[in-house]
Amino acid sequence: MRGENTLKRALDKYPARVYKNRKSHMLVKDSSCKTQEIAANTRSIPGIISNRGCCFAGCKGVVLGPLKDVVHIVHGPVGCSYYTWGTRRNKARKSINEKNFLQYCFSTDMQESDIVFGGEKKLRNAIKEAVEIFSPEAITISATCPVGLIGDDIHAVAAEAEREYGIKVMAFSCEGYKGVSQSAGHHIANNGLMKNVIGTGKGKKYGSYPINILGEYNIGGDGWEISRVLEKIGYDIVTIMTGDGSYAELKNAHLAGLNLVQCHRSINYIAEMIEKKYGTHWLKVNFLGISSTIQSLKNIALYFGDESLISKTEEVIQEEYGMVKDQLEYYKSRLQGRTAFIFVGGSRAHHYQVLLNDLGIESILAGYEFGHRDDYEGREVIPDIKADADTKNIEELKVEKDKKYFRVTMSPEKLEELKKTIPLSYYGGMLKEMAQGSIVVDDLNHHETEEFIRLLKPDMFFSGIKDKYISQKMGVYSKQLHSYDYSGPYTMFKGAGIFAKDLDMGMYTPAWRFVTPPWKTGPILEAVLFGGEKA
Amino acid sequence: MDRNYVNLTVNPCKMCMPMGMVAALKGISGSMVILHGSQGCSTYIRRHMATHYNEPVDIASSSLTEQGTVFGGSENLKKAIYNVIGLYEPSVIGIGTTCLAETIGEDTARMVKEMKTDPSLKSISLIPISTPGYAGTQFEGYFNALKAIVEDTAVITGKSRALNVIVPLLSPADIRHLKLILEMFGIEYIMLPDISDTLDAPYTREYKRIPKGGTALSSIARMPGAMATLEIGTTIPEKLSPGKFLKDKFGVPLYRCPLPMGIEGTDTLISLLAEFSGRKVPHMITEQRGRLMDSMIDSHKYNSEFSAAVYGEPELVLGILNICLENGIGLRLAATGCKSPLLKPAVENLEEKFKNNLSVMTDTDFEKIQKFVAGCHVDVLIGNSDGKWIEEKEGIPLVRIGFPIHDRIGGQRLLSICYEGTMRLLDEITNTYLSFKESTYRKRMYQKYFN
Ligand code: SF4
Repeated sequence: MRGENTLKRALDKYPARVYKNRKSHMLVKDSSCKTQEIAANTRSIPGIISNRGCCFAGCKGVVLGPLKDVVHIVHGPVGCSYYTWGTRRNKARKSINEKNFLQYCFSTDMQESDIVFGGEKKLRNAIKEAVEIFSPEAITISATCPVGLIGDDIHAVAAEAEREYGIKVMAFSCEGYKGVSQSAGHHIANNGLMKNVIGTGKGKKYGSYPINILGEYNIGGDGWEISRVLEKIGYDIVTIMTGDGSYAELKNAHLAGLNLVQCHRSINYIAEMIEKKYGTHWLKVNFLGISSTIQSLKNIALYFGDESLISKTEEVIQEEYGMVKDQLEYYKSRLQGRTAFIFVGGSRAHHYQVLLNDLGIESILAGYEFGHRDDYEGREVIPDIKADADTKNIEELKVEKDKKYFRVTMSPEKLEELKKTIPLSYYGGMLKEMAQGSIVVDDLNHHETEEFIRLLKPDMFFSGIKDKYISQKMGVYSKQLHSYDYSGPYTMFKGAGIFAKDLDMGMYTPAWRFVTPPWKTGPILEAVLFGGEKA
Repeated sequence: MDRNYVNLTVNPCKMCMPMGMVAALKGISGSMVILHGSQGCSTYIRRHMATHYNEPVDIASSSLTEQGTVFGGSENLKKAIYNVIGLYEPSVIGIGTTCLAETIGEDTARMVKEMKTDPSLKSISLIPISTPGYAGTQFEGYFNALKAIVEDTAVITGKSRALNVIVPLLSPADIRHLKLILEMFGIEYIMLPDISDTLDAPYTREYKRIPKGGTALSSIARMPGAMATLEIGTTIPEKLSPGKFLKDKFGVPLYRCPLPMGIEGTDTLISLLAEFSGRKVPHMITEQRGRLMDSMIDSHKYNSEFSAAVYGEPELVLGILNICLENGIGLRLAATGCKSPLLKPAVENLEEKFKNNLSVMTDTDFEKIQKFVAGCHVDVLIGNSDGKWIEEKEGIPLVRIGFPIHDRIGGQRLLSICYEGTMRLLDEITNTYLSFKESTYRKRMYQKYFN
């Protein structure tokens, strides 16, 4: 049975201090407790193979990278830049007159001499070359480990280039060692985009319900599927942050009527800052899973409160759901009763539980790679989170009401009323929705992955490429939820169907049948007897 | 080289040193790797290797944070070492540096030396390897690691009949094949490194944290007593050559031969092995050669019709060049992201022999490779999967070989050395051209005659 004992056994091999540290990052869901606290967003233990990446990965790799019309120059040695080249499957297409640089990887490829004598000159020239070859509207410069240490002032270089070329040039000091995971990089990227991009556009004529989608990176086309359905209902999408997003659109983000937040972790800073600065509210949504998609769509309509929008929403839900209902029933009948581990990202480990649940699969262990306590326990704990040295190093950007664009769209009374029914400016976290007795592990590492698989024997393991093969070698079907194993989209109704089909394929592949050779299980002669009849 | 734009690298044709270091360490039995720096380096490299090999690739990190950059990272590194030992029970840990560690001037060699005084660490080899990402590519990182391992491990021992075989980064399938050939000759060998099982492990019921296989440290220790060293590769810089070290320090005779790709390259290797073993070339190998010969004659009528561009790590580039030239495939370009001063003269030698003029680009990127192939007639690209953008944009089919291959399955199982591998790769190259020709033939004919 799962419980505290399982945790103890999984932690058994650790020396005392590691034990204590890791224990605080785990818990067994107990509905009888009013609150359950989990340690998160703290340093990983050296030598324990964590799946976390670095600050640079979160900034350039996750948030900035998908902006397609921007030349993203990585200032640093070549490795980091190379490793983020086209690896996230954040898809993009370009419309006419639009530029798309996503297939490119730009680096200043710092050499030993640059480390010794400084790399500013090289960076300056690299920007010049980028402008000459690609003539982009905007350039980002992301710093990797050595840059801050050798004292390169990338912000000064950016400012100078901005003046010289008359385009937007932004610098991000997202050196790999900052913070404790990618999360710090998300924050730095959020700050930079807020400071430099959002609010600088003049906009165009939008329809009645202009919205932004935040924290959607269009992995495997997820964002496209979301946009398709939302547009069908009648929403006008101003910008998507940042999957298939662009600098050109992002500039106008302040003109939307509502911000939808999909991945809370990576983008909640922008959501909050926009709210403060422009008065736009944000609504937590989840388009992964049928029940959550339906709820999210209804909530958005409720926010705008227009009867015709509400009924159109119902209509689209019926229509879209109708298209996959039978298919989902079929797969559910084949997948029902299975158990899963899900360890990914800063929000997906929560989002996907709904989709799994819709298919009759129980998530018995879940956790985030780089989530914070609020992603587990809900935003109400934010005031209680003590800022440690690592968090303090990341700037908290202060924004003020924008004189020109700040709007009050709703009376405070109405807002409070609405907040009772829909998650406005609020995220409740993963824990509340998990079943009694399920296990939560923050920053799950290689050792624990193995131990928990051994102890709990799940049927499926959802994670990324780094731990995929560990699970597979242990005989447990594994699916990547970072890159979707080259499949997708998984969002909305259609996506749920594709996801179900992929799981079915993985669980039922005939390959699993042959794991044990026949000579290990008993007499084999019967199979080779000539004539078709068995002995 | 002909680089108009020298400050901005666009689509790099290289990775960083720690990547190569990890690949080398994965070929050592019972090994683990710690990269001293921030977590990202380990995570990125794990991701890239796991995608290519479809195997777990575990790399620990000392997880340096901002504080570490101020106060130094020795505490983190220490913790990392003890934790790795506690959880993985390795017999050797390779400790590589990263850009971060090197920039803040971490003296890992000293730290490790200090740690070695702890009696509980006595049975474990801790090998510091300097691999700053900015000082070289994976190619240099790989040999740097091999040399460091040998320097650290080799001791004066009694003479043995063994042959040291030092190999560049090949596929696990290549290494398996090479071992088989050595065994056919009855040669006792020490293969360094040996990734044949570790990075392409058979499926078993039981999963092992550190996969079995790899070169045993005890074997490396005995390398100085070997009859000779055979270092495969002619572009390995002298100062990174483990073979050279064994020769200089222990007087082990050093033989170098090119990568056995192509019939001639393989002939060289096989003749050497025959000499070492004092045996006749085994019948099976002669037959393999015969079959390759047969296949070369079979496909020559197509091969001279088309031309190719090759890129990747210098050693592999040379090997592929050999295959192409021996088969009359027109070569336009040999390119590498490494600085590799030895590639150009090696290519010039071949050019003279085969009367084929081709361009050589070193320290280059895919942007420049693309410009080049777009500007001249190239039918087939040969190299790792990073060339897929050129394939897509220029419509030139790509034969995938080397590391990484991320958009196809089975890179770890590709056999492309010796007679057998040459035959497979040659067929693949020819067929790629044929399939391209077939699918575009009508269109091209139409354009030629009716437009
Ligand atoms: S280039 Fe340097 S910082 Fe980047 S991954 Fe390589 S070693 Fe790490």
